[in-house]
Amino acid sequence: MADLVLNDLHKQFGSTKVIKGASLSVASGEFVVFVGPSGCGKSTLLRMIAGLEKATSGTIAIDGRDVTDVDPARRGIAMVFQTYALYPHMSVAENMAFGLEMAGMPKTERDARVRQAAATLHLTDYLDRKPRQLSGGQRQRVAIGRAIVRDPKVFLFDEPLSNLDAELRVKMRLEIAKLHKDLGATMIYVTHDQVEAMTLADKIVVLRDGLVEQIGSPLALYSDPDNQFVAGFIGSPRMNFVDATVKRREGDALVLDVPQLGLDGLPVRPRAMPRDLPGALVLGIRPEDFIDQQGSFRVSLPCNAIERLGSVSYLYTAPGDDKTLIAELKGSHPAKVGETVAMSLDPQKCLLFDAAGIRV
Amino acid sequence: MNRSFGLNATLIACLCFFVVLIGLPFWWVVSGSIKIPQEIISRVPTMIPQSFTLQHYQKLFEASDYPVYLVNSLIVAASSTVLTLLLAIPAAYAFFRLDFPGRGILYRTILLAYAFPSIVVLIPLFGLFAKVGLVDRLPALIIVNVAFALPFSIWMLRSFLAGVPKEIEEAAVMDGAPTLTILRRIMIPLIAPGIASVGIYAFVTAWTEYVFASVLILSDAKRTLPVGFSGIIGQYQIDWGLLLAGATVAILPVVAIFALIGRGFVSGLTEGAVK
Repeated sequence: MADLVLNDLHKQFGSTKVIKGASLSVASGEFVVFVGPSGCGKSTLLRMIAGLEKATSGTIAIDGRDVTDVDPARRGIAMVFQTYALYPHMSVAENMAFGLEMAGMPKTERDARVRQAAATLHLTDYLDRKPRQLSGGQRQRVAIGRAIVRDPKVFLFDEPLSNLDAELRVKMRLEIAKLHKDLGATMIYVTHDQVEAMTLADKIVVLRDGLVEQIGSPLALYSDPDNQFVAGFIGSPRMNFVDATVKRREGDALVLDVPQLGLDGLPVRPRAMPRDLPGALVLGIRPEDFIDQQGSFRVSLPCNAIERLGSVSYLYTAPGDDKTLIAELKGSHPAKVGETVAMSLDPQKCLLFDAAGIRV
Repeated sequence: MNRSFGLNATLIACLCFFVVLIGLPFWWVVSGSIKIPQEIISRVPTMIPQSFTLQHYQKLFEASDYPVYLVNSLIVAASSTVLTLLLAIPAAYAFFRLDFPGRGILYRTILLAYAFPSIVVLIPLFGLFAKVGLVDRLPALIIVNVAFALPFSIWMLRSFLAGVPKEIEEAAVMDGAPTLTILRRIMIPLIAPGIASVGIYAFVTAWTEYVFASVLILSDAKRTLPVGFSGIIGQYQIDWGLLLAGATVAILPVVAIFALIGRGFVSGLTEGAVK
């Protein structure tokens, strides 16, 4: 267990800036998840913490010790790769013991550690097998076992479940959560999977274009995002954004007209009341905040596609278009394509963003 | 996969054609070596030997210098192979892993070594070896063979190294393995098919090398098989039985090395194809 502090990290490949100043502090025992779209730099940032990429500038400290220029193996970290990266010619036991052997640990002690980790990960029966004789889930467990035996201060996971099928992914996700609980170790996890991020993380770091957009607990990011990007990125299906004009101020709310939804006088409370009344804003509505019952603010959405998942249905106004509105309906909704569905909107739950995408 | 009968028949016919094309000369040599001299030169050739004799082999090993040539060739080919691998593996890894100025240009230019016909360097090399006292000594041949096999071997091994997923090497780095340990414990086992391929290539080129062996070696006792054996073909007459027996024995080490590491060679080729 150890804390980790990143201070103004930059990374440049040639003239391409990949990380443009990342600062972050991770408390001992915390589970931090890096999320962001492809190419946002989340894997690069993880590899910089691992020492596989050298920082162009900035510092990395583990337990108060500056490790920016320390060899990867001497940082006290272990990494689980997306492709498992097992040594194909070595048995499971040899794979797990290799790092310990490199650290100069005596064989008897190595064997004991490997057996203990294997027992934790239900791998005892497979210790003599080669990686090619294992299933995907077992290989992933070996990769995790290889990290565990080294008893690292910090675990790094680079999209460890993305090569597994959906069912196994859920299972392994729960196993990783249990492992974190049992070991109490500091873990940093990169994923683009919303569910993994929301379920595993104590803290989520949202990255875009090499910059940290927001850091916070999963629910804080979901209900109280700092900007339009985080609001759109966290949550599945994504948040709806519609243009609105500000009519006036009324108490602690701004009264809006939303022509796209045919709404007049929608009172939405901003995070902080702006000093000057803005002319136009973007209204953010989560799909589940369209309510399938009577209310003061009625909206009619054309149903141009509907996905019925059993417990909920998703209505799309313009499927395939980025501007489509998505509404969540309870159960298997009877709406048919081509019909218009009447719903109401709870203005309390709506969020406001300015033209630059900053939360108002 | 379901293939039509016609396609199957065509494939089998093609296969048979190539088996005959490649196998027939071998069969002719091997079967001829156990025929009596009259049958070998008979007007109507016999595909299946009508006679059996080991007299040519007896003559080959008892009355000719063939055993000496064979041992010389084995020494030269085996040493060339080992030395080629010892030099090519670290060189290929350096080209693959180390970042040094001019790496890309150097890597591309090493294959330029094959742009010149080897005969061009024959005379200068002779002069060079004469100065350092290597003429008429087997190490001269080993040096030449290694020098000619190295560029291709490095080039080939580097592409095999490039086929190993980067993460495996990174995992070893995270495990604290030094560069040479990564090469020895992780990379070499993973590119074993490539090493087998290069080993076979180096052995066969050294085993069949004629031009340099004929010029750099002067005394009969130091000749390798291709050169020494050509002397068996007389100026006025050819002892066909002896020639065929010698050729048969000359094939054996190559066959043995293919049988020994051939599986790695084949899987190496297919691995290279799919990656």
